[in-house]
Amino acid sequence: MDHLLDVILIDDSAFDLFIYEKLLQKSGLTRSVKTFNSAREALQYLIAEEERLPETLILLDLQMPDMNGFEFVDSYDNVSDRLKSKIKIYMLSSTIDSRDIERAKSSPNIIDLLSKPLDIPLLKDRLSIGL
Amino acid sequence: MTEKPIRILYIDDEEHNLQSFKASFRKQWDITTTISVLEAEELLTKKDFNIILADQRMPIMTGVQFFEKIRDQYPNIIRILITGHTDIGAAIDAINKGEVFRFIDKPWDYVYVENAITHAFDIYKTREDLKQRNIELQKANEELDKFVYSASHDLRAPLMSVLGIVNLALMEEDLKSQNEYLELIRKSVKKLDTFIINVIDYYKNARGVAVITDINFDELITEVQATIQYLPEFGNLRITSEIDEKGVFRSDVMKLRIIFSNLINNSVKFQDPSKADPYIHIKVESTPEYARIIIQDNGMGIREIDQDKIFKMFYRAGATNSGSGIGLYIVHEAITKLEGTIDITSTYGEGSIFEIRIPSINK
Repeated sequence: MDHLLDVILIDDSAFDLFIYEKLLQKSGLTRSVKTFNSAREALQYLIAEEERLPETLILLDLQMPDMNGFEFVDSYDNVSDRLKSKIKIYMLSSTIDSRDIERAKSSPNIIDLLSKPLDIPLLKDRLSIGL
Repeated sequence: MTEKPIRILYIDDEEHNLQSFKASFRKQWDITTTISVLEAEELLTKKDFNIILADQRMPIMTGVQFFEKIRDQYPNIIRILITGHTDIGAAIDAINKGEVFRFIDKPWDYVYVENAITHAFDIYKTREDLKQRNIELQKANEELDKFVYSASHDLRAPLMSVLGIVNLALMEEDLKSQNEYLELIRKSVKKLDTFIINVIDYYKNARGVAVITDINFDELITEVQATIQYLPEFGNLRITSEIDEKGVFRSDVMKLRIIFSNLINNSVKFQDPSKADPYIHIKVESTPEYARIIIQDNGMGIREIDQDKIFKMFYRAGATNSGSGIGLYIVHEAITKLEGTIDITSTYGEGSIFEIRIPSINK
């Protein structure tokens, strides 16, 4: 890990956004943290910012109203390869349902499923392998 | 018999058999007759029969052949074979192939036929009941599955939030911000508690024994109001009520409390912060026959695409501060149990009106 991360958090819980934004800022890993409480808005943002978007790490919640994490990933599948090449998605969820875990692990767009609460040392570890 | 009479189709190529059968039984049963198997097939497509009687010896095909032919398409109808000759071969054949429920010997005996048909109908009904029960069980299982999935999320998510805050607080050196974290923990615990109370309500509603009493709406609404007006999100909301009780309305107060509490809570939760004068207006009109309850607010309203889905279990409309999606489901279940109806009129950005009609339980 030799560069700072630009992170996007997607979670319907204002609560969790607050916690993980702070946690990431304190971790010293990040240059910027952007938060979205709606997956749909986050997706619109990504598409609109295709040109300007820096390399980005997305932490995506699973259970959300309107568009949930899996639905987000399904729609994300249609974005340009160029945009995809700048983005790494990790799912961040409290789920312990084996079907969810299987689905997250088998999705080509999700690098890994991290369980809540976010564990910074674990994230560091994953990133040094993944990025 | 208070139910619909047993529907019977009788096929026999000898017209006088049909006539005498009709003459003997048409008062107690709904009887259709025909001399042709072709017409019989036609009749089957038009009417829902419980029992078919067929003569064994007929031109074109025998009774057993006819049963064999229709069996797959109409498996529920109970088949009875009438035979004039003690035709052992046909009898064995029919039994072994499972085509018939009973044999009736010609000339038939009134009591014997009556018994055979009554028993056949019992079997028909038992099978139908079993099928219905199976459908209900399947639905219950699906709901349970969904319930476990969502409940585990709703129980776990606030706990994981608390754990996240604790981790954050441990990294914090500034003691002053610890209080801020404690406040967050408090909110998260509160949310978890609300969910647990909802689950208990749901369970009581689904499994509990209904206690029917005279309902005092004034008292009930005051009681529900008292539990929510000190909530931090209550704000400067104004609750007004207009209660018109004409005579005694009887119902299950527990279910009514669940209905009022969830609907009022929702109105509190989904206030529109841009409006200067947030209000909830509750109108009740009750008689010894029914109660009509209207809960109107000038909150955020419900988008049209969400309106037919909000009563589904764990459906959460787009709002980000929404709960688990169990509240309105419980309301709907409670109203269904009381054999009532609920209608929504809502304009997004303007407010919502919930209108409920419940019959009085007088027994």
